[in-house]
Amino acid sequence: MVTRMSTTVIREIDNTSNDPRQRPVLITQGADFGPITDSVSAVAEAARPPKIWYVAMGISLCLTGILGASVGYLIWMGTGIWGLQVPVAWGYAIVNFVFWVGIGHAGTLISAILFLFRQKWRTSINRFAEAMTIFAVICAGMFPGIHVGRVWFEYWMFPIPNYLNLWPQFRSPLLWDVFAVSTYMTVSLLFWYVGMVPDLATFRDRSKTRLRQVMYGIFALGWRGSSRQWHRYEVAYLILAALATPLVLSVHSIVSFDFAVSILPGWHTTIFPPYFVAGAIFSGFAMVMTLAIPARAMFNLKHIITLRHLENMNKIMLVTGMMVGYAYSIEFFIAWYSGNPAEAFAFINRAFGPYAWAYWTMVSCNVLSPQVFWFKWCRTSIPVMFVISILINIGMWFERFVIVASSLSRDFLPSSWGYYIPTRWDVLTFAGSFGLFMTLFLLFCRYLPMVAMAEVKSVLPQAGRHPGHGQYWGEITPEENGEDRP
Amino acid sequence: MSPINSTESGQGYWRSLQELARDPAFLAELGPEFAEAADSPPEGTSRRRFLQVMAASVGLAGLTGCRWPKENIYPYANRPDGRMPGVPVKYATCLDLGGSARGLLATSYDGRPIKVDGNDLHPINRGANDVLAEASVLDLYDPDRTRGPIRVEKGEPYYDSWDHFNTTAHGIFAAMRSKSGAGVAILSEASSSPTFARLKAKLLAACPQIKWFEYEPVSNDNERVGTAMVHSRATRPHYSLSEAKIVVGLDGDLFETHPAALLHARDLITARNPDSGTMNRLYAIESGFTLAGALADHRFPVPASQVLEVVCRLIVEAVNLGLQSQYLSPEVISGVRKMAEAKVSVETVPDKAIAAIAKDLMGSKGASAVTVGFRQPPLVHALVHTLNAALDNVGRTVRYTPDPDPARPTHLESIRALNAALTEGQVETLVILGGNPVYNAPADLDFGEALKKAKTSLHLNTHFDETSRLCSWHVPRAHYLETWGDGRAYDGTLCVQQPLIHPLYEGKSALEFLSLMTDDIPQSGYDMVRETVKPLLPGADFEVAWRNLLSNGIQEGTQEANAPFTHRNDLLVQALNASVPAPKLDSGSLEVVFRPHSSILDGRFANNGWLQELPDFITKVSWDNPALFAVSTAAELDIRDGDMLRLKVGDQSLEVPAYVLPGQPKNSIGLSLGFGRSAAGRVGNGVGFDTYRLRASSRMDFTTGVQIEKTGKTCILAGTQDHFAMDEVGAKEREGRTRALVREANLEEYKQHPDFAKHRVHLHPLASLWQPPAEYGDNKWGMTMDLHKCIGCNACVVACQSENNIPVVGKEQVHRQREMHWIRIDRYFKGSPENPQVAHQPVACVHCENAPCEQVCPVGATVHDHDGLNVMVYNRCIGTRYCSNNCPYKVRRFNFFHYHTRHETVEKMVFNPEVTVRSRGVMEKCTFCIQRVAKAKIEAKNERRPIRDGEVQTACQVACPTGAIVFGDLNDKDSRVVQQQNDPRAYLLLEELNVRPRTAHLARVRNPHPDLAEAHSGESDGHAHEHDSHS
Repeated sequence: MVTRMSTTVIREIDNTSNDPRQRPVLITQGADFGPITDSVSAVAEAARPPKIWYVAMGISLCLTGILGASVGYLIWMGTGIWGLQVPVAWGYAIVNFVFWVGIGHAGTLISAILFLFRQKWRTSINRFAEAMTIFAVICAGMFPGIHVGRVWFEYWMFPIPNYLNLWPQFRSPLLWDVFAVSTYMTVSLLFWYVGMVPDLATFRDRSKTRLRQVMYGIFALGWRGSSRQWHRYEVAYLILAALATPLVLSVHSIVSFDFAVSILPGWHTTIFPPYFVAGAIFSGFAMVMTLAIPARAMFNLKHIITLRHLENMNKIMLVTGMMVGYAYSIEFFIAWYSGNPAEAFAFINRAFGPYAWAYWTMVSCNVLSPQVFWFKWCRTSIPVMFVISILINIGMWFERFVIVASSLSRDFLPSSWGYYIPTRWDVLTFAGSFGLFMTLFLLFCRYLPMVAMAEVKSVLPQAGRHPGHGQYWGEITPEENGEDRP
Repeated sequence: MSPINSTESGQGYWRSLQELARDPAFLAELGPEFAEAADSPPEGTSRRRFLQVMAASVGLAGLTGCRWPKENIYPYANRPDGRMPGVPVKYATCLDLGGSARGLLATSYDGRPIKVDGNDLHPINRGANDVLAEASVLDLYDPDRTRGPIRVEKGEPYYDSWDHFNTTAHGIFAAMRSKSGAGVAILSEASSSPTFARLKAKLLAACPQIKWFEYEPVSNDNERVGTAMVHSRATRPHYSLSEAKIVVGLDGDLFETHPAALLHARDLITARNPDSGTMNRLYAIESGFTLAGALADHRFPVPASQVLEVVCRLIVEAVNLGLQSQYLSPEVISGVRKMAEAKVSVETVPDKAIAAIAKDLMGSKGASAVTVGFRQPPLVHALVHTLNAALDNVGRTVRYTPDPDPARPTHLESIRALNAALTEGQVETLVILGGNPVYNAPADLDFGEALKKAKTSLHLNTHFDETSRLCSWHVPRAHYLETWGDGRAYDGTLCVQQPLIHPLYEGKSALEFLSLMTDDIPQSGYDMVRETVKPLLPGADFEVAWRNLLSNGIQEGTQEANAPFTHRNDLLVQALNASVPAPKLDSGSLEVVFRPHSSILDGRFANNGWLQELPDFITKVSWDNPALFAVSTAAELDIRDGDMLRLKVGDQSLEVPAYVLPGQPKNSIGLSLGFGRSAAGRVGNGVGFDTYRLRASSRMDFTTGVQIEKTGKTCILAGTQDHFAMDEVGAKEREGRTRALVREANLEEYKQHPDFAKHRVHLHPLASLWQPPAEYGDNKWGMTMDLHKCIGCNACVVACQSENNIPVVGKEQVHRQREMHWIRIDRYFKGSPENPQVAHQPVACVHCENAPCEQVCPVGATVHDHDGLNVMVYNRCIGTRYCSNNCPYKVRRFNFFHYHTRHETVEKMVFNPEVTVRSRGVMEKCTFCIQRVAKAKIEAKNERRPIRDGEVQTACQVACPTGAIVFGDLNDKDSRVVQQQNDPRAYLLLEELNVRPRTAHLARVRNPHPDLAEAHSGESDGHAHEHDSHS
């Protein structure tokens, strides 16, 4: 078992054919219930993770250390160490906040909405996409926390009863943010955990050391796999999926209110909520892709996270990328159509002003680069999709940067116009947040079931193979089983 | 008086009984520390270390005089009459600056002065204030002021005791008196003080061989020599601009550093009322932007060297139009014609403009005024005064009083003579009473080297500056708020200088120092001033008159009478015939014009953070003095903002960064004096560039034939506006928006459409998501800012900084756009970059009814109070900065760092205790001086009456010399602010956002000459003529 990882090489199988006569299977190479458990558990049960894991972990920990130092220095000195100023009083911190929250959205979409829509292919990726959500929201939540001038009074943002009867100001979108993001975090965490219980029980049952038995035992909550437990579990999971679904739409809508509710030209636009949600899903899928491609290689999961999964995600990126592109063009149209000169200037300035470099970076990454996914060759090419996913991550970060910096830098009175230049502390904090994110993600890969084993098994052909109950979904060809045709 | 000096010098507290008893063993323990600290020379060590050494030395120097405090202290159990703890008291005093006294009212809060306002009885100030006097209170608490006499031996400074100094000085001066002053020279600053003059006379009478010199780097000598040329004696011109319909300003700063600047501004604006039917017209012909130029209806940028020619052309044109006068003799006219022929200046001031100005002057004979700046040579002054006389202006808009000291040589002659005397070794003992000649004497003299030749040199000044370092003794000079003195206003009115606090560091005033020289037992300043003013005060009872003088700060009726003089032409004709036409300038041979800086002046205010951070009124650059280049010159030479250039003329050269300023004359470079100090203190050291290095005795004002070369280096210039080079998209938009933001019309349009300002922007119907705010019960504070009256002088900015404890953030932070000023003056250019129109617009928090900042704050830290003011609750603010993002006026300021941590104890004394000192991480902004509102409310409530209109005046309003800012209760329908808001010129900035600001701006009206109007076309574009409905 332990040696399996090093000996068996899982090959890349093309299961992306859409020939209706011969639908390919989702899970390739003849994986049956047992092997799936084996290959997912192998990651956690291996004596040592692959070397590349140590390298990645080392880099991530360094970055996390940088984050800690940057935040420490920030709290010691004040937000002046960043490039903030008047008029651009929000900078990297808010850009990063929106960026990370957006990333989180793909996880919830995959696990909740695709669950409700019975998209079986979600089962291979939902677990780590959800994990990504949690970690992204942790990173996101950090930024509004540290960007305020007086960190030590942060709790005033929460409606805590006090003898002065002082309450937060409920008209402020920042306060809505607090509720939206904390709700999102809570629901996502619950959803993730509840979904993981049967798999944790599997880990517990396979544990060989006392420590693992106890730890997984605690978190498995006494799961025995009885029919009653499965019944309760599935009801709970469905309810949580139903709860999480509106959050996919609401959280980023509310984040967009931070901008849309203000009176700043370039922020004050009604298109922001749908535009932000589309962008969030877009960036989230790109991040899932960026994580999935190395992870499936590193942990030998190419038969579970197959090309078909990746191709599906590429299709979603193509769609959401075009929605984002549509939003960009509609913004310009409305800026002209509204007849509001300040609005018109905000957008001309965005595209041709001092931040034009950022704007065109954003457009080329977000609108142009996903267009290659019209071609199946690109959709199924690992290197292409990896590069594109990274480009989209960059582009989506720039989208937020453009919205924040270019709108603020030139508002109503030309006398107070400015230009925001980040300092090294801005950059280090941002880089550090990736360290935190990757550290958490690598720990998750190593110690938790990164694929929802129980759910994957339910979409295996074997799950539906009941004699006398008609055809099962898909036909396993010998190639797909990794066997040579006799 | 407060015995604060005792604690500051270490005399009030002791660390142990041994120390108190001066136990030798204990002192021996302290010894090495003392020696080590005192041994560190200031050169070669860091400034910080030097200051530490100085501070340590002063602490220990106090030990030598260890004694019980001499002052009596009283418990406050029985409160002295008229003293209420916590209730500020105002005292009249004056600041003698460059030979004329500004009349001030200093606010003392429990014994420490915290704010300086203009004295409303003072003929020049009339309650207003300029930036220099406003900021002077900060100098009082400057931690870099020296805290005891410093003896310099072999170039190394040692803090010494007052006792030792007094003994030494006594010896020196006793010897001086015994030799009737042989070998002694005194260099003083210009002073208007009658006591100073009396003591000087007394000293010179006692020691007739003393050589007395007077030097000011920026002086009115050209005017003195010029008036002496045409009048029988040197006179001092006074302009009554309120009577003048046509004002022509020739290369002068009527409103900036002129001693009567506040009077000029007030008078000129009074006569500029667009509703009066006789709005004046202002022409400015100048070599660099001045406040007057920015205000002018027509401005012509002219190199300084061509102003003479312009005056001649103007006179010729006036004569051609029929100007006849006994003062314009045929010889004068022929001389003028000869000068006018060169026509070098035609490019900048076209004939058409000269014709228009001449026509205007001829049409307003007796009601016009031609003024000229101190920078122009005497001949120009002489011609201008001749022209004024020929135009019948003398006695109407221009009058002359005798020069207070007509016999004295010019400052330049004086410093040259002293330099020569020093070099020849004639001066054994040199006493320098204030001033900093080593820094600001002409560069070719090398005054520092000459100074070293004097055997003994004593320098009285507030700081251990460039000059002190080369003298054998530095004597701390007391601040004007610490000592008794007197002075005369520009018009001669007697002013008294009352101390508000005991000298913090035992410093001496110039008067006390003179007394030290004259008398065996030095007299106190109080006695000396009383003795001087006794014959000057009216009435039989001196004590009553004295008390009135102290209470009023000035003595009415003591102004100078008009000077009797006869006009003469002979010297003028001589000078005209001797003068040569201005050389043609090109990019290979440029002109340099030296000007005192609008806030640092000649460098004496270099260690004042408020003034250093104050953006220049036209460039908006703070903390620097770049060389100003015309747009065309910069394009020709390929110069960009911040490029380091080497300017060369004669033997001198200077490295300085460039700044491209629209409206700077072509091929003329503007250089501000006063920067690049090496021994100003922690604030002023190394700020900017020492332009005195280029200023030689042959070219004190301007010079031609300057060459430049690029060094390839660049320098960061920190400005509060246009922080970076504007790209085309932004520049175009800015130009388009300016029209709606700063609303202007020409007088003709205004007469036809008084409400033009309301039609500059067409509003869509304004609807709000929120309930309209409740009407406010008692008071509803509001403000108006009249762009027609604002001259952009920055007085409001400093007044606000002083009143509201606004931190100084430094060049790096200003460059990062983090300046903290609550009120700023936006400057917009309009029209051609070679000769643009300028508009100033003061902007502070407008206290929106529908405040966008309030809606977005998550913790409710900015809210409306019960008077409807938009207030900041610092305690509640957590610093999300969302309010700033959502503020369309960007008037909110954020404490990115803890800007107040670096203060020494003494610096904290300047704070206004009624205003919170904000900490790091909170937002702040204009409060409408809520502390003043609260104070007025309490007083009114105690007296059971409503608050009267005008009872609450904001700090910016008080300082404003032209009354551009009006504050009051919008609920009081008779209040001035309501009248102003109902003025047809009133408009709301960014009204289309429906934030409903409480501050209204009043549009500006220009009065161009009809013949020149197309050059400065107004705003008429048909909009005002469409009488469709505007909401």
